[in-house]
Amino acid sequence: MILFPAIDLKDGCCVRLRQGDMEQATVFSDNPAEMAKKFEDAGCEWIHVVDLNGAFEGGSVNGQAIEAILDAVNIPIQLGGGIRTLEDMKYWLDKGVARVILGTIAVKSPDLVLKVCKHYGDKIAIGIDARGGQVAVEGWAETSSMHALDLAMMFEGSGAGAIIYTDIDKDGLMEGPNIEMTEILAQSTSTPIILSGGISSIDDLYGVYELLGPLLYGAISGRAIYDGQLDPKEAVEMLKGE
Amino acid sequence: MSVAIIDYGSGNLRSAAKAFERAVGELGLNMPVQVTNKPDDLGSASHIVLPGVGAFGDCRLGLDAVTGLTAALEEDVIRGGKPFLGICVGMQLMASYGREHGDHKGLGWIPGEVIHLTPSDSALKIPHMGWNDLVFLDNHPVTKDLSDGDHAYFVHSYQFSCDNSKHCLSTVDYGEPVTAMIARDNMIGTQFHPEKSQSVGLKLIANFLKWRP
Repeated sequence: MILFPAIDLKDGCCVRLRQGDMEQATVFSDNPAEMAKKFEDAGCEWIHVVDLNGAFEGGSVNGQAIEAILDAVNIPIQLGGGIRTLEDMKYWLDKGVARVILGTIAVKSPDLVLKVCKHYGDKIAIGIDARGGQVAVEGWAETSSMHALDLAMMFEGSGAGAIIYTDIDKDGLMEGPNIEMTEILAQSTSTPIILSGGISSIDDLYGVYELLGPLLYGAISGRAIYDGQLDPKEAVEMLKGE
Repeated sequence: MSVAIIDYGSGNLRSAAKAFERAVGELGLNMPVQVTNKPDDLGSASHIVLPGVGAFGDCRLGLDAVTGLTAALEEDVIRGGKPFLGICVGMQLMASYGREHGDHKGLGWIPGEVIHLTPSDSALKIPHMGWNDLVFLDNHPVTKDLSDGDHAYFVHSYQFSCDNSKHCLSTVDYGEPVTAMIARDNMIGTQFHPEKSQSVGLKLIANFLKWRP
């Protein structure tokens, strides 16, 4: 299981939201590239980057910050938020992003995304953001009628590198992750699962590792790191059994 | 004197081994800690530890999949009377039955069954994950220097329900009293993770290493 430290970008700054509400943003750094370097120095193997402006508005608003992150580190970056066309996707893969996260477009145009997966394979992650089990889109502003598990199963055997499952009800609330739904997803699909949302401390990460370790590809943590409840270096060592 | 931590493909063995090595070091004991799945190693160990995470049935299958391991455990723990510590599902395996995803036979060392947590307060989430306060129902050499209110780290959805309440050594409150520790003769079990429970865990491990039942 890999720790994916999260860098959420809003107006060029590294922020965290509560339950996806743009009005409730806390700024943690105005230098996201420096933050990325810290994660790399701590031994992290990947970084999870979200362009929040992009997620709400579509298209990339934080392009400069993302490029600065790509320049600053050697570890792979996965990027999500506002990637809704093939052009957006190709643009960032060409720039050096290792994996792009397709969320809204996976719900709205699954056939297109299936084709993309066939071609790009593990360079694609399917982002499934759910509220009460129902998939949310457009930066979590809309809830669809589709169930998270049904969406995950649509991409079974697609070749996608990962499914990133985010429980919106848990995100940024420091309440503990949704173990039950994550376990169901991980047992139902062969696509590697990354859990996001609700990991409030290194103790929660330990619990996830104990309960789901062999089933999970990774876990994303944001606010807990910035609040000092989860030290990335300690977490990486723990997950490696050191 | 040596400790055997049983490796049967379940659990975060490295962190358990580390905690035991630390306790051995702090006590200044000459007591090698060995992570092993060889039945013969149980014979040469003075103390035996059975960790375990995941579903009860999977753990039981994992144990039985190692040829001779269950028999060696019976020999050294039940007949040999060696101090034994079960952690999390390793503790639960001492029960007569586990009721997680169907009915599974346990080792049957401490009468009882492992049942789903059913907190009366629906705001309490399953799994029970995080720190909780221990309440001691009895004294025991392994819980020496521990007292009511000490914190331990839990991560589980099922609990050990003892047939005989005298085997329940401590509980925590999670909408209902939940078994935290069980004990019988030379056997002790913790639902919580001593290796993650910082000072409480270290004290408990140290007491276990000094225990001569």
